[in-house]
Amino acid sequence: MSAPKQINLIIDGKKCTGTAGQTILDIASANGIAIPTLCYMKELSPWGGCRMCIVEIKGSPKIVPSCATPAADGSEYITNSERLFKLRQCTLELLFSERNHICPFCPSNKGDCELQSQAYKHSMDHVQFPYLYPALKMDVSGKYFGLDHNRCILCTRCVRTCDEIEGTHTLDISNRGQRNQIIVDLNTTFGESDTCTHCGACVANCPTGALFDKSQFYRGKLNTSDVIRTTCAECPVGCGLMVSTKEGRIINVFGDTDTLNNGHLCVKGRYQSWTEPRERITQPQIRKNGKLTPVTWAEAIAFVKQAQANSPKWQTGMLVSPRVTNETAKTVVKISNKFDRIGVRVVRNEAAICVQPDPAKDAMKKIDASDCIILLGARLGHDHGVLTARIRVAVRKHGAKLIVLQSSKSDLDAYADVAAPVVSLERAFWQKISGYLNEAQRPVLVYGAAAMSAIGVTVLERLINALETKKTGESISLIAMPRSTNSFGLAAAGVETVEEVMPWLETKPLHYLHLVASDEPDGGARWLEERHITDLLREVECVVVQSAYPSALTKLAMVVLPSTIWSERTGTTTNFEGQSLPVRAVLPPHGEAREDRAILEELFT
Amino acid sequence: MSANGRVKVATMWLSGCSGCHMSFLDLDERLVELNKLIEIVFSPVVDTKVKDMPLADVGIVEGCVNNEDQKHELELLRSKCKILLALGDCACSGNVPVLRNQFKLEECLTRAYIETESTEVGEIPDHELVPKLLNKARPLHEIVKVDGYIQGCPPDADTIWYALTELLAGRAPKWTEKNLRFD
Repeated sequence: MSAPKQINLIIDGKKCTGTAGQTILDIASANGIAIPTLCYMKELSPWGGCRMCIVEIKGSPKIVPSCATPAADGSEYITNSERLFKLRQCTLELLFSERNHICPFCPSNKGDCELQSQAYKHSMDHVQFPYLYPALKMDVSGKYFGLDHNRCILCTRCVRTCDEIEGTHTLDISNRGQRNQIIVDLNTTFGESDTCTHCGACVANCPTGALFDKSQFYRGKLNTSDVIRTTCAECPVGCGLMVSTKEGRIINVFGDTDTLNNGHLCVKGRYQSWTEPRERITQPQIRKNGKLTPVTWAEAIAFVKQAQANSPKWQTGMLVSPRVTNETAKTVVKISNKFDRIGVRVVRNEAAICVQPDPAKDAMKKIDASDCIILLGARLGHDHGVLTARIRVAVRKHGAKLIVLQSSKSDLDAYADVAAPVVSLERAFWQKISGYLNEAQRPVLVYGAAAMSAIGVTVLERLINALETKKTGESISLIAMPRSTNSFGLAAAGVETVEEVMPWLETKPLHYLHLVASDEPDGGARWLEERHITDLLREVECVVVQSAYPSALTKLAMVVLPSTIWSERTGTTTNFEGQSLPVRAVLPPHGEAREDRAILEELFT
Repeated sequence: MSANGRVKVATMWLSGCSGCHMSFLDLDERLVELNKLIEIVFSPVVDTKVKDMPLADVGIVEGCVNNEDQKHELELLRSKCKILLALGDCACSGNVPVLRNQFKLEECLTRAYIETESTEVGEIPDHELVPKLLNKARPLHEIVKVDGYIQGCPPDADTIWYALTELLAGRAPKWTEKNLRFD
């Protein structure tokens, strides 16, 4: 393929160079010339609908939208004439007159609205056209965000975001002309939509207050908030977050555009991790006369130290949540000589994935570029929304084939060329998928914990063999996808993995058990799901639970120590690509909560 | 202009919350300075002891036009003054009072006078002294010619000061990204 042809042009009197096929807007912004836009976003395909980015072509009476017009070699463009200013002002006035844009009570007022700031920039002190005042509805049925058609300018940024980034195409435009309206599925609501994943990317990309986050309502303005970049703690994809805070509370969470998620998030990172108020443990507690009683940190620490010292070493153990940071993992390894057993509690079959020595570097890019994606026992839709979105886009936009081998139903089944349970070993089945495997040039095989079951491993081996024998010259990309946030990091630090607590507890009866539940969403209650485990824990003399949230686990505890949550800790976490990603505290610790690492250091070093 | 060389100003309060007039009073000590340059001949916040609207150089109007009475007053002011300024979002763009325009007038009145939660037996006022509501509330420039706009809900005292001093100096205020606000 020959190198793209270089073209030379003049924009506002400045000599610029670009490559053939680039739009006027692309070349202008690369050369530091700002052209006002509304419907344009660099992450999305150009639309050319709002007419804010119009430019003049020297020697032609026509004006063109610069976002959707390829630059012509040798042409001269003008982006800031009096005529263009007036036309843009006129466009804005038409937008304002078309619907009910009443700034003073819009949640995007005072700086978070691109329509408003364009009106300011274009000196729009009144609207010369008669206002239409259409009677439009609002959809506030969604759990996390709402849609107010009164403030919509039909820029279709939400439609394109939903189609091109989340890949679900839940949103579209209905009707014609003046009756144009954003539509959810086939005219349903966000609350009732079958396809909406509530990822909130449409809201993040809305230039006005038409799509708005309910939880941000009247908490404060984004443009005056503090923004801290950190890493999402909800799954091992490790999406970059940009957390906006004001006066000690989070006002919104958006994706970081400079990290592997390209600014995209799923419902877990964008909303679930912070929008719902939850009861926290704020103080250390010691069980006195059968009741957990608040005590000082000094008292709690003295008590725990004593309890551990009083227990024979062979009867002491510690279980750690796979959500903790790499730094906490190091501390856990450092203090492991104080305990008989230390383990990280992972989900079923996850241990075998965590010992995978070489995490797939650039896994995300490989998925983007793949022409055949095979998922084996990885609960993607449910657990890793951003990765799922990327796969949907690869299938829908780039024509990749998708084979989903999974026992439970998946969000991706609808997009799959083949969807089957992991047990499918029949001849006919293999014949069916071998066609896809044979044609694959850049196959990617994503496997999760369920692929490590007895049958799963057999299927995995056969798939690898089938792909390797093709000898396409390119090696297949194997991507291990654990379910727990930092199980890779903990395994790499050398913490033993524990899939089932029962046998781990039963090897030798424990006298002292330290449970680092950290900020497990259920407070670690999941650890008690095994049969009879509660009874077994009751027999342990001293159970210390280190947790952010009260749960069934803390009810069993002799001592409860308050942990910080994802937004209050510092360190690093290792994602499924093996990258060590920064975790930064965006808020001060809640109450007397302390970081897990600090608590362990204080107690055992 | 009056005999003492001061510019005659009339102000008017239509469908607005009086916030714009309050913001005008927020000029504080600058009011003293302004008093040397202008004479307020008609205003809801000044007891001008006049019965009929006098002639003025500048008319400043807060609020939008909601009923026949206000429409008449505005048209009268327009005929009495040389320059007419729209003060605040309601006057410039309608703002909150035009929210009712999405609904039929009858629906609005029923909601307000009969269906409100605290009303037991309601009645829509119908008396010759009660001004008749227009079908739609309108910003000033949809009724009369407006010469200048001061946006804001309300425009703050500095914005009002800037607009007035520019006009007194014989210049039209320039609204840019720096000083234009709709909130």
